[in-house]
Amino acid sequence: MKAPAVDYVRPRSLAEAVDLLAQHRGAARVIAGGQSLVAMMNLRVASPGLLIDISRLPELCSVSDDADAVTIGACVRHAAIEDGRVADPTRRLMPRVAASLAYRAIRTRGTIGGSLALSDPAAEWPAVLTALDAEVLVRGPGGRRSVRCADFTTGIFETTLADGEIIESVRIPRLSADARWGYLKLSRKSGEFASALGVAVADRTRGFSRVTLGAANGAPLVLEDTSRLLSNGGHDLRSAVAADLNRAADRHFDEFQRNLHTVAAMRAVQQVLQ
Amino acid sequence: MPDEGFGVGASLLRREDDRHLHGRGQFVADIKLPGTIEVAFVRSPHAHARIIGISVPPEARGRVFTAADLPRVKPIRVVSHSSGAKSPPWPPLATDKVRYVGEAIAACVAPSRGEAEDLANAVAVDFEILDAVIDAPRDMRGSRHPVHEQWGDNLYIEHALENGDIDAAARSAGVTVTREFRMQRQSGAPLECRGVLACRDHRLDEVVLYTSTQTPHTVRVALAEILDLEERRIRVVAPDVGGGFGPKARLYPEEIILAALALELDHPVRWIEDRNEHLLTTAHTRDHHYKVSAYADRQGRILGVDAEITVDAGAYGLWPQGPYHEAGMVARALPGPYTIPNYRARHYTVATNKTPLGPYRGVGRPGACFVIERLVDEVARAVGREPNEVRALHLVRPEQMPFTTIGGMRLDSGDYAASVQLCAQLLDMPAIRARQQWAEPDGRRIGIGFATFAEQTAHGAAEFAARGASIIPGFESCTARILTDGSVVLMVGIQSHGQGLETALSQVAAEELGIDPVRISVRHGDTESTAFGFGTFASRSMVMSGGAVARASRMLRDKLCRIGAHLLQCDVAETRCAGGLVSGPQGSVTIAEIAKVAHLRMDGLPQGVDPLLDATATYEPAISTGVYSYATHGAVVAVDPETGFIELLDFAVAEDCGTMVNPMLVEGQIRGGVVQGIGTALYEEIPYDETGQPLAGTLADYLMPGAAELPAIKIGHLHTPTPHTEYGMKGMGEGGAVAPPAAIANAVRDALSAMGAEVNETPITPRRVMAAIRNAREVG
Amino acid sequence: MTAIRLQINGAAVADDVPPRLSLADFLRERRNLTGTHLGCEHGVCGACTLLVDGEPARSCLMLAVACDEREIRTIEGFAGDQVIEALRRNFHQHHALQCGYCTPAMLITARDLILRRRAGSERDIREGLAGNICRCTGYTNIVTAIAEAAKEFGKEPANA
Repeated sequence: MKAPAVDYVRPRSLAEAVDLLAQHRGAARVIAGGQSLVAMMNLRVASPGLLIDISRLPELCSVSDDADAVTIGACVRHAAIEDGRVADPTRRLMPRVAASLAYRAIRTRGTIGGSLALSDPAAEWPAVLTALDAEVLVRGPGGRRSVRCADFTTGIFETTLADGEIIESVRIPRLSADARWGYLKLSRKSGEFASALGVAVADRTRGFSRVTLGAANGAPLVLEDTSRLLSNGGHDLRSAVAADLNRAADRHFDEFQRNLHTVAAMRAVQQVLQ
Repeated sequence: MPDEGFGVGASLLRREDDRHLHGRGQFVADIKLPGTIEVAFVRSPHAHARIIGISVPPEARGRVFTAADLPRVKPIRVVSHSSGAKSPPWPPLATDKVRYVGEAIAACVAPSRGEAEDLANAVAVDFEILDAVIDAPRDMRGSRHPVHEQWGDNLYIEHALENGDIDAAARSAGVTVTREFRMQRQSGAPLECRGVLACRDHRLDEVVLYTSTQTPHTVRVALAEILDLEERRIRVVAPDVGGGFGPKARLYPEEIILAALALELDHPVRWIEDRNEHLLTTAHTRDHHYKVSAYADRQGRILGVDAEITVDAGAYGLWPQGPYHEAGMVARALPGPYTIPNYRARHYTVATNKTPLGPYRGVGRPGACFVIERLVDEVARAVGREPNEVRALHLVRPEQMPFTTIGGMRLDSGDYAASVQLCAQLLDMPAIRARQQWAEPDGRRIGIGFATFAEQTAHGAAEFAARGASIIPGFESCTARILTDGSVVLMVGIQSHGQGLETALSQVAAEELGIDPVRISVRHGDTESTAFGFGTFASRSMVMSGGAVARASRMLRDKLCRIGAHLLQCDVAETRCAGGLVSGPQGSVTIAEIAKVAHLRMDGLPQGVDPLLDATATYEPAISTGVYSYATHGAVVAVDPETGFIELLDFAVAEDCGTMVNPMLVEGQIRGGVVQGIGTALYEEIPYDETGQPLAGTLADYLMPGAAELPAIKIGHLHTPTPHTEYGMKGMGEGGAVAPPAAIANAVRDALSAMGAEVNETPITPRRVMAAIRNAREVG
Repeated sequence: MTAIRLQINGAAVADDVPPRLSLADFLRERRNLTGTHLGCEHGVCGACTLLVDGEPARSCLMLAVACDEREIRTIEGFAGDQVIEALRRNFHQHHALQCGYCTPAMLITARDLILRRRAGSERDIREGLAGNICRCTGYTNIVTAIAEAAKEFGKEPANA
C-alpha cells in the first residue's frame, strides 16, 4: 500500500501556508503529524495533490498561558501534553487523555490540531475539548476567527473549517482548584479507537459543568440533562442520561451502543461525584 | 544423555537471536537484486463475477500481464483421493470469472511499488456481477450462482463418521445438551506478510524464487508442474520468514506468476504483499459452524455425541492439500481424549465466494476442542457437578493406553487427568472459587474455565494417505556433513520460522556426535542445499527432522569411530565419541583430525572405508498415525456485565509433550500458541457482508492481542516420553492455540452463571456477551 | 523530486526523493537499512518503529521529505548504546524473540520505556508495549527481558 504521487512544500510562516492553501484550492491539504493523513494516503483513501507541511511553523508550536486559559498551538504533539511538557489548565485531565491515545510512537508525531481537523468520531480530543468548553482558533484568508469546540465538529469527519482555513490553536479555560473531572475510554484493546468515550467536567467555581460522549456516530454528543444534573446535584443520573440519549435518535445507536454510551456517561459522572 | 549441557534437554540459547537482535535478519523484502522490477496486482473488487473485458491503457502495454499474456501458466489443481471430492481448477490469474474479493486478475510491473499500484488502478475491468455464496450451511446444496458451475452444488466434499449406536445413546439419555457453535473466519496474520522475489540465474540455468514460505521443496514441485519446467531448473529459497503458522504452508498464485514473469522478462521481479492484501488473499482460517448434541446420564456420564460440522472453505483449494482435511480432522478430534462410546459426525466442506481457507495453528482442533469442552461444561451444569469432575469421568487413563478414541485418534501415552489437576493448581482454583463468593467492588463477575485436548503430531504417511492426500508429508530428511576442519553442517528439509530449529536440531546432532553446537550449522529452507523435505507445519519438525538428524548423525558417528579406531589402532567396540573426540583405551583423536584424514589424507583411511563424512537419512516415527501431546488450559476472566468487556486475569497450561529437546523453546511455542488462541477467543474476526465483501481490511479492524491485554502465561509440565520417536519427544508447536477459545468460553460461562448466559461463538466480543446476557434474561 | 538532508545513525545524508516515499521505504530501499520492517503501513503493528529526534515514531507514517533536518536512528545505529546492549542481552537470555520480525522495533520501544522510566512494573511495561505486536512469543518473555534490563538502570520513577 504505497501512497499516490504527491507534491510537498514546507512554508516558513502560517501566512504563507494560508496563501498556498488558497492558491491550490481543493487540491492541497495541510499535513501536521501525518499520523492519520499518511495512513489514509497509504490506503489510497486520500490523494492530496499538494501537501503543505505546517508541523514546524513556530506560530503553531507555541503554548501561551494567562490567568484564565492556556492556548496550545495546533501542532503541539500529544506526547508533549502526555508528558506534562506544556502548561496544563485541566488539573491533569489532558495528560490523562493524551496518554490513552493510540500508541507512544503515534503520540510523538500526532498533533492536537490534526485530531481536531480530522474529527474522527472515535477520537478523544474533540469530545474532551468540548467538555472543557475550549475554543478553536482558526486562521484563514479572511483572518482569524474563534469557534467554540462544541460547535467545531459537525459530523463524522466534518468540521466548520472552511476551504483554505487552518487551525491555529486551541484555547482551554483553566479549571478551578476545586474542579473535578471524569474520563472513561472503553476499548477492547489498549490504544485502539474508543468503542465509547465519556467525559465529565464539573467546575463549581466557574458555574460550569458538561458531560460529553465521544465515539457517538458523529460529533461529540453533549448530554445537556446530565450536565445540568452535575451542576445542580440531581439524583437520577440514569434517567438524565436516558433522556439525553433519547434526544439523540438521529445517531442511530443500536441497543449495544446505547448501553455502552450510558455506561460511559454514568461512570464518567460517578468519577466526579466520588 | 546430554553432554556438557548442550544436548537433548538443554535450554540452549538460540543462535538465531544474534542476527535478529541487530536487525540483520534477511527476510524476502530485505534481499536486493540489481534491476528489480516491482509488481502490483489488479484484484477483484467483487466476490463473484464474470469478467467481460480487461482494458489496459495503451501507454501501459507490455507492463500489464493477464492470464492471456502468460499462456505457459497452468491452473493450480489439488488432487484428493477422498471419495466424492470435487477439485476446481484455479487459474493463478483469473480467466473468465472471479470468485472472491482479492482474486488476482492481472500483474502490473513498474520501477517502484507505488507506480505499479498506480498502474493497477488504471486497468479497467468490466464485470457482470453474480450472486455471492456466503452462507455455507444454507447454500451447500446449491445456489442461484454456484461457485463452481460444473458442480451442481457448492460442496467440495461431505462425509460421515459413525461409531457405536448414537440413536440408542440418544434414546437412553437422561440429559441432552444441544448447541450451535460458531468459530468466525479469521487470518493467521503473521507479522511479516508474504512476498516473492524471482529472477533467472543464467549460470545455473535456473529460475530462483525467494519466497516467504514454510514449504520450499513442495513449492518447487508445484512450480515445475504448473510452469512445465524440470525441477532441476527451479530453486526455491525461504530466507528468514517472519512467522508462518500454517497459512504460509500452501502454494499461492503470486509465486507462480512471479516465476513466470521472471522467465518472461528476464529481470528480477518482486512482489511484497501489503497488509490489506494479506487480509484479503492469504489463507483465511477457522470459519466453522457446528450443531452438536451430547447425550448423558444423570451422573454426567456422556453416552454419545452427534455432530454436524460445516467448514466454509472459500472459493478454491490451496495446494497441496486443499480444504479436504479440515472437517475430517474436526470430526476425529471432536470426541476429545474421552472414553465416549457412541459418536456420529456428518461433515460438509463448502465452497463459498470468499478467500480460500487454509491451515492455521491447530487447524481443526481448536474448533473440535471448543465444541466438546463447552459440551462437557454444559453437561456438568445440567447434572449439578463441577466440569472438571465430569472431565475426570471420561478422560483416558494411563493404564488404558494405547487407546483409540471413538473419533479414531490413537492416543499413545499420557496422564490426561493429571494435566487437569495441575492446571487447576496453577490457577489456584480454590482461591478463585472462594473469591467468587463475594461481589467484586467494581461489579465485574469472575469466572474460571478449563479445556483439555490431545494434539496429534508428527503424523506421517499412513495418516495423510487415510486423508486422501496425493502429497504425503510422510518423512523428513537430513544430510549431515562434517567438513575438513571438523565443523558440521546439517542440511534439512524443514523450514524454521521462529521455532528455533537452527538451535534445537544442532542439539540433537551434538547429542549424537559429542560436538559442541557452536560448531554445527543448520541449513534449511533452500532447495539448492538441502535434501528433499516437506517443511514445517503440523507440529512435525522437531520429531521428524530431529529424528532424521539423529539418524544421520549416528551414521557419521559410526564412521568417525571406525576411522578413529583405525587411527588409534584399537577395536571399534572400544571407542567412544564424545567431547569432540573419538577416544580409545590408549588415547584419543579429535574429530577434526579424523575429518582431515577422511578428506585430505585419505591414504590414512582403513580398508573398506570411503572418503568423505557425509550421511543422509530420512525419518518417520514408528507410529505413522502420529504421537499425541496433550494439555489442559485454564483461564480466569473478569466480565463486566454492564458492558460485556472481558479482562483475562490469568491463564495456565499444564502440558505433556514427552521429552523436550529444548524446554525454553517448548515454552516459547506454548506461550505464542496460547496468545494466538486468545486472539481467536476474544479478538480476531473477518466478517463478510451479504455481497461477499470482507469487512476487516486493516489492523484497525482486525484486532490482535497486545501485551497490555494479556497476563503472563503460566506453564506446568508433565513428562511422558513416547516410545515411538527418537528420545521420546512429541510435537507440540500447535497445541497452545487449540484450547484457549474453549477455556475462555467456559470461564465466561462460569462468570455469568448466575445470569445463565453463554457465548458459543468466537471471538467472544462485548457485543456477543451482552446479547447472551439479554437472551438469558428473555428465556429465563 | 525534493532534496533532503538529514542525519541517519549519526551520519549526514543528502538525497533527492519523491514526496510520496515513506521514511521506511527511503531507509530500506535507498539506504540499505533493512532492519526496520513493514508489517501494516497504517501505524498499528509497530514493526517500523525507529527514533526520530530521539523519540519513537512510525517510519511507515512519515514521509522522507518531512524528515529534512531530522535525526533518524534505526536498529543498525545503536552500537555502544548501553540500554540496547542490556536489552539485547536480556532478550537473548529470556528467549524474547522467535521469528525476529518485531524485534528491532520492540528493542527501540523498550529502550524508550526504560529511558522514560516507564519500565518499572509489569503493568507499565505491558501498557508501554501496546503499540508493538508480536505474533510469535506471547509477550511473556519480552516483558521479563525488559523488566530485567530495566533493573540495570535504576528504579527512580520519572519526574513528570
